[in-house]
Amino acid sequence: MEKNLSSAAFHQMRPAAPEEQWDIPQGYGTTESFLLPKDPAWLFLFWEITPETFECARAQYGSVLDQSRTVIRLYDVSGVEYFDGSNANAYYDMPVVFDARSWYIHAPQSGRSYVAELGFLTPQGQFILLTRSNATTLPPGKVSDVIDDKWMSVEGDFIKLLQLSGADRIGLGGSSERMQVMDQRWRLTELAGAGNAPSSTRSSWTSFALHTAPVSQEDEDIWLQADCEIIVYGSASPNALVTINGQEIQLTDGKFSFRRALPAGAVLDLPIKASNKKGDKTRRVHIKAEREQGK
Amino acid sequence: MGQEKGYLALMLHAHLPFIKHPEYPDFLEEDWFYEAMVETYLPLLNVFENLTAEGVDFRLTMSVTPPLCNMMSDPMLIERFQRYLNQRVELSSKEIERTQGTEFEAVAHMYYDKFRRFKDLFENVYHCRILEGFKKFQDMGKLEIITCGATHGYLPLMVHKESVNAQVKIAANDYRLRFGKSPRGIWLGECAYNPGDDKFLRDEGIRFFFMESHGVLHGTPRPKYGIYAPVYCPQTGVAAFARDMESAQQVWSAESGYPGDARYREFYRDLGYDLDYDYIKPYLHSDGVRRNIGMKYYKITGKVPLNQKAPYNPKEAREVAAQHAGNFMFNRQKQIEYLSTLMDRKPLVVSMYDAELYGHWWYEGIEFLEYLFKKIYYDQTDIKLVTPMEYLEMYPVNQTVQPSMSSWGDKGYHDVWLNSGNDWIYRHLIKAAERMTDLANRFPNADGLLKRTLNQMARELVLMQSSDWAFLMTTGTAKEYSTKRTKDHIKRFNELYEQVKHNRINEGYVYDLENKDSIFQQIDYNVYSSAAKDKVLNPYK
Repeated sequence: MEKNLSSAAFHQMRPAAPEEQWDIPQGYGTTESFLLPKDPAWLFLFWEITPETFECARAQYGSVLDQSRTVIRLYDVSGVEYFDGSNANAYYDMPVVFDARSWYIHAPQSGRSYVAELGFLTPQGQFILLTRSNATTLPPGKVSDVIDDKWMSVEGDFIKLLQLSGADRIGLGGSSERMQVMDQRWRLTELAGAGNAPSSTRSSWTSFALHTAPVSQEDEDIWLQADCEIIVYGSASPNALVTINGQEIQLTDGKFSFRRALPAGAVLDLPIKASNKKGDKTRRVHIKAEREQGK
Repeated sequence: MGQEKGYLALMLHAHLPFIKHPEYPDFLEEDWFYEAMVETYLPLLNVFENLTAEGVDFRLTMSVTPPLCNMMSDPMLIERFQRYLNQRVELSSKEIERTQGTEFEAVAHMYYDKFRRFKDLFENVYHCRILEGFKKFQDMGKLEIITCGATHGYLPLMVHKESVNAQVKIAANDYRLRFGKSPRGIWLGECAYNPGDDKFLRDEGIRFFFMESHGVLHGTPRPKYGIYAPVYCPQTGVAAFARDMESAQQVWSAESGYPGDARYREFYRDLGYDLDYDYIKPYLHSDGVRRNIGMKYYKITGKVPLNQKAPYNPKEAREVAAQHAGNFMFNRQKQIEYLSTLMDRKPLVVSMYDAELYGHWWYEGIEFLEYLFKKIYYDQTDIKLVTPMEYLEMYPVNQTVQPSMSSWGDKGYHDVWLNSGNDWIYRHLIKAAERMTDLANRFPNADGLLKRTLNQMARELVLMQSSDWAFLMTTGTAKEYSTKRTKDHIKRFNELYEQVKHNRINEGYVYDLENKDSIFQQIDYNVYSSAAKDKVLNPYK
């Protein structure tokens, strides 16, 4: 609600200063990559690979690079004190476009430690490393199986305490509660008819996700919760105007991606359109996802 | 230990990002601070004053974050706040005349009385230094003030541990400066905990922190008491207190939470839009655009359009707040009574909230708290209010559990601060952190202009690390401002870095930034050195 007003005022009041004409850099001229945890199932990897690094690889390996796939190699390094490239528990390869510069990676298992590498995978199966990330550990996302024998309790009491503690409501509430409460009230007001306050500028995408309650099932001694999100990603000509379902989406170096919640019973209809500056040439891709109601 | 069946720890997290724009005579986003001062912080202190005068003993834990402490102590912001407050006193006094004999008479008087009281409290009791008020109740043992990361930084997304260490150290040093002792507890920004970060807390003598419930529930091994007793982190022994969801939902559930009561004040119907333009114009910002000014004359009423809201009745709303306080207490009594049948010690319920929810969003939340403290003191003996330290003194032996990575954000992890709308910031935040440590290692004994420049770089770094920016980018409110703030600090940091690297520091530029981004006057860039971090990691070497 305050967004438009405040930003408009901001531009009005700000004099043209040299700093205004600077921009933040696209990269820092170093080949490197960083791996961040997002939740028990997802990692975020971002990287920069300099032209020099590519030239170096080409000088060493030649045309075999042209027949190679570009991949992220994700290593499970749980319990490994110092990862040297060969002592991981397991690894997983996934195709990637280097120009994407960042990627959300679905982790094979929660509660494990990971290192990611970017490189070429040759037809002969050789992996040519360009950059290796830091290690990161994901949260387990569940109640531990480890029981402390010094702090034993009656199993039934523990299960009750667990339920009372809110084991089935994780992630609800939270610091977004302020947003949820106010958003809800604002919607009621809006639904009841237009008032005299300025219109809401909240993004329907984010608030959509925030209002999604996980599907939860409870029983005496077993519980389960599961939810679903969709990631749409792609690339287009760097100066194209890309819209998803009519809303403009920001391109970074010609790439785009976004996540969206897919609640039970929902149908996501996502027409994606790219058009040139003049608007006389367009390309379209239509993605549709449906999730059954589920019981 | 007395006859009580269990304990309740109330925790209010008071925080705003550092917003100060001396380059403009009048700046919109600074209002967040002035509004919170007059709607939450001063009203809370007023409650503490009332309770103390009446002899009601109470216990409350509050974080007053370093950015907030810095803003509360900033002469320019104090002066502007006084201007803001004086305008409210003036307008509300005019309103008494205008509303005489109308259905708005009572509410107009309410604002006038409150603004006058807060002005008196601020100027005459606390001498324009509101932290004096908080310190007073801390020294009386009723209020435990805890610190927070230097700028509410989001610790699990910091790859370089030097930055985590610096967020904690800068905060602890600032706390000592403000409150004359070391902090005993910390609120991790967004309750975002990363296993192992407790080492940096322990090194500053911090004994406890707060978490979202699954931080403890998903800990290893299983926590015997669920979230109804704290656990100690392995090796460091720092205690983790987890949030009770039942009491949280009771207040903030969108469907059934207290603040939605039809008799409470309607937030969205504001005098800034209602009054005659020429009459209200002197109280608007200099651009003359109608905005909320914080005086609202209507109640929620029900599901009706804003123009069909009924007049607010302060007396009626106060009675509802008292009823809700009674209901909240009753539910805690029942909850604690039941929990005590499942546990072989007295249960502890930790109820934690954003402080600004009280007063600013939920206007009557302040009165709710006052009634709650009084009812707990006068009307019952089942539950007793405690601070985390008081609990730890009663129960020094607790289970050792490695808490899980977690946050109190939507979905319980990092989604709000790391998603396709804001993930671009980490490339820059992480690079700046790496460069800062590199420079701190290279120049351990800088002095003169180089020292000032490195200190300013440290300020720009902590300011860009403020988790508020990523949060605001996700929620969509103030997205443009938060994006701009992030980029400004990145640009300033990078520019200073280039100046240091090429040995061409521009003193005028440094001076300008020292004045603008003036948080942490006493900052020492050496907190970013690897030596400062390694000292923590290997305390026995």
